[in-house]
Amino acid sequence: MSTEQQENWRDAVLVQARELVALLEQGDDVGAQVLLEQMRGGKDSDLFTEVGKLTRQLHEALLGFQLDTRITNLAAQDMPDARDRLKYVITMTEEAANRTMDGLEKCMPMVDGLNRSVVDFRDQMQRLFRREMQPGEFRKLCDDLVAHFNKTESQLDEMHAILNDITLAQGFQDLTGQVIRRVISLVTEVETSLVELIKMFGTMNEYSEAKEKGKETTKGVEGPIIDAEKRQDVVHGQDDVDALLSSLGF
Amino acid sequence: MPIDKNMKILIVDDFSTMRRIIKNLLRDLGFTNTAEADDGATALPMLQSGGFDFLITDWNMPGMQGIDLLKAVRADDNLKTLPVLMVTAEAKREQIVEAAQCGVNGYIVKPFTAQTLEEKIGKIFERIG
Repeated sequence: MSTEQQENWRDAVLVQARELVALLEQGDDVGAQVLLEQMRGGKDSDLFTEVGKLTRQLHEALLGFQLDTRITNLAAQDMPDARDRLKYVITMTEEAANRTMDGLEKCMPMVDGLNRSVVDFRDQMQRLFRREMQPGEFRKLCDDLVAHFNKTESQLDEMHAILNDITLAQGFQDLTGQVIRRVISLVTEVETSLVELIKMFGTMNEYSEAKEKGKETTKGVEGPIIDAEKRQDVVHGQDDVDALLSSLGF
Repeated sequence: MPIDKNMKILIVDDFSTMRRIIKNLLRDLGFTNTAEADDGATALPMLQSGGFDFLITDWNMPGMQGIDLLKAVRADDNLKTLPVLMVTAEAKREQIVEAAQCGVNGYIVKPFTAQTLEEKIGKIFERIG
């Protein structure tokens, strides 16, 4: 209430009060009661005016918050979209891992086979140098070596192609990186909207307290620890695990 | 006593790529007799039907978790002496202590190396052999 309003109010009440005293002195109880009702009614109407103002402000605030557009879109479109994107990341990384392992599983036996034949040929060459080889055996060794060179050439070509394919399979990092970046910006937007909601309906003090308090450690399974260096309740690598277990008598 | 390379090993992990990695590493170490399950609930009946000499399990899986599988194995008269190696991303000290108290024989945190796997398997069978 401004000073002017306050003075007006005081004058009005004074007039009414004097009138009330006059009525009571005259013994006009009925008149005094009517006046009292009027005075109280006036106060009620002020209260109603204030409540009305508050209601209007709240209504405007809600409209300003655009609850019906952005939040609705987030819930209806963006969140399911983010879920699908993250599923895509799982699929892509799984495909890349399998494609890489397919290639490696094809390479491994070839590498092992080549290794075995190299060892075998070296042994035979040593026999040759020690002059332990019969002419017939030597001729066979030459034929085997030619066959070995041909086979090695084609297997190395094959492995080269597989290694190229493994290189290409790493393209998942670019694709999933882009997808995850979009999900991160969506999460940021949801955070902003939630903070707006808290401003509107909650208390910012609690929000700041919760923010300062830091993350509560989760009970039970947690998956990979992404901030191990900041935490005291987790091990930092296999050496820590081994030390902990040996302290337990392992 | 050298480790029996023909022993039957059950690999339990919900991610097929991780099962494949472990299977390949084991094969490289000479262990080719392996089977796979994607969580504890699938693994337990396989173990109960018999024939397995070694269990390698993840912790965090949908359905039945690795720690509950370990408890079930230790509570089963036919399985309670089965060696169990946990290979998991779970890295909280209290979890490692819990696994030890439940009777795990070895604990490897992901990401891990082929050398760690070889070393832990060696240690487990050295101790019980």
